[in-house]
Amino acid sequence: MREVFVLGVGVHPFGRFGEKDVIEIGREAVTSALNDAGLSWQQVGAAYCGTVFAGPMAGNKVLARVGLTGIPIMNLENACASGGSALRAAYQAIAGGFCDVTLAFGMEKMPRGFIEGNPNDWFAVMGLAVNPQYFALKARWHMANFGTTEEQLVRVSVKNHRNGALNPFAMYRKEMSYEDIAHSQMVNDPLRLLMLCAPNEGGAAVLLSTKEVAKRCSTKLIKLAAAVLDSPLYGTVEVPHISVSARVESPTVTMTAAQEAYKAAGIGPEDLNVVELQDTDSASEIIYSEELGLCARGEGGRLLDEGATEIGGRIPINPSGGLLSKGEPLGASALAQVAEVVWQLREEAGARQVKDARVGLTHVYGALGNCAVSVLQR
Amino acid sequence: MFSTAIMTQPTQNQVPIFPGLFECLDDGPHLIGSRCRDCGEVRFPVNSFCPQCCTETTDNIPLSQRGHLYSFTVQRFKPPPPYRGAEPFVPYGVGMIELPEGLRITSVLEESDPDKLRVGMEMKLVITKFFEKDGGHAVLSYKFKPAEATSPVEDTTRGEIGGSLP
Repeated sequence: MREVFVLGVGVHPFGRFGEKDVIEIGREAVTSALNDAGLSWQQVGAAYCGTVFAGPMAGNKVLARVGLTGIPIMNLENACASGGSALRAAYQAIAGGFCDVTLAFGMEKMPRGFIEGNPNDWFAVMGLAVNPQYFALKARWHMANFGTTEEQLVRVSVKNHRNGALNPFAMYRKEMSYEDIAHSQMVNDPLRLLMLCAPNEGGAAVLLSTKEVAKRCSTKLIKLAAAVLDSPLYGTVEVPHISVSARVESPTVTMTAAQEAYKAAGIGPEDLNVVELQDTDSASEIIYSEELGLCARGEGGRLLDEGATEIGGRIPINPSGGLLSKGEPLGASALAQVAEVVWQLREEAGARQVKDARVGLTHVYGALGNCAVSVLQR
Repeated sequence: MFSTAIMTQPTQNQVPIFPGLFECLDDGPHLIGSRCRDCGEVRFPVNSFCPQCCTETTDNIPLSQRGHLYSFTVQRFKPPPPYRGAEPFVPYGVGMIELPEGLRITSVLEESDPDKLRVGMEMKLVITKFFEKDGGHAVLSYKFKPAEATSPVEDTTRGEIGGSLP
């Protein structure tokens, strides 16, 4: 397998953009990545588009506005892991020797409010297909078994909104006080409105290449040391689920994907300097910090209490503001995480800069247990 | 052996929200699951494949009416389509109930006050009318409710479903 490097990244801001076309949002992300890489479109050998709501052939529509060069274009739908899945495919094409330069990109213009269920699912008709219900069930279980507190749930959101206030690509871009969050509307106990991320609009793109091409284009080489995509084993709780084994407890898909990524990169969680993870809700940040191995099981709340997850802490989590501040355009979110880590490793993250960041990890979790994890190194 | 043939008999006025989810036996209603002949794992709803063994090795079995609350939340806002619950919207509890067969089922709860729910409490199955379909059919679904301080399961459950569960 060949080594894979990040040539360039581009993000279209996350938020709400009125009548702006989702295809245009995608095009701006792609051209931003091309400009960052200093590359012309003719040099790209294959493209992979992650999106859920942009419709059939959305990737082809975006790239028709960039240039018709005859390359293979694949459209991928994998829920919240769609962008991470596109990254995985683009990584494999370079690592496997099929292409020297590939593009992973994604964009969304999502309906407002909570994501609709499948009309054919009886449990959706019953009201059991609402994503935050499952986040809340996991949160309540974590609180009952490990003593995680509502105060900690509030403070995850305070931290991420504080970070997001420094990020020009985030939707909210403002701090939220402890009181704002603690008194926001209860949605699914114990999760309140400002402890949940908002589906929204946005785009992101990542250009990958071989080491040879990367060396010609840049002096700040960033290696994509792993790009893993897993689905769950038997015996795990997913979003949504109607039944799960009480006898068989398998490692979660976040655990298996992270272990594969650490192995591929030849590192352990103790080597990480910065992490962007799937904070669809405050409790998920705490739970995933454990499942990624950043601390022991049940210690995620304590990791937060110690200040370790702050910018300037031992292991900063979501310096971009995470999904809580940025919002979550499903096809773009994973690739924007990669962009954030790349900026951190290049020391281009401005006021959000994590000092001496050399190794970073990104993590997304999608419905039914699609999980994508990447490791980036400078 | 539990027969699938008696699971989905339709009646004039009542239909289950999905065929085969539950059945009324001599001692009241039961959810119906699949147990793998090889590994013994039980799943709900019925599926001919065992997802652990990856083989078509399951038998249908009635599940216990009682279990313990593993985790819970309260649905405070009206879910997006295709939700068909009460109009105007009434908040409802959602829980995972651990059954003796070794599985945890996600269910709507009859109790929606989080102060009256606690992890570990005993819960029991009830079948209730969920909504009225065009033509006057009652669509039935399953729920769990706290089992404490209630009369025996057969009597209350029979009363709630009018004794004529499909």
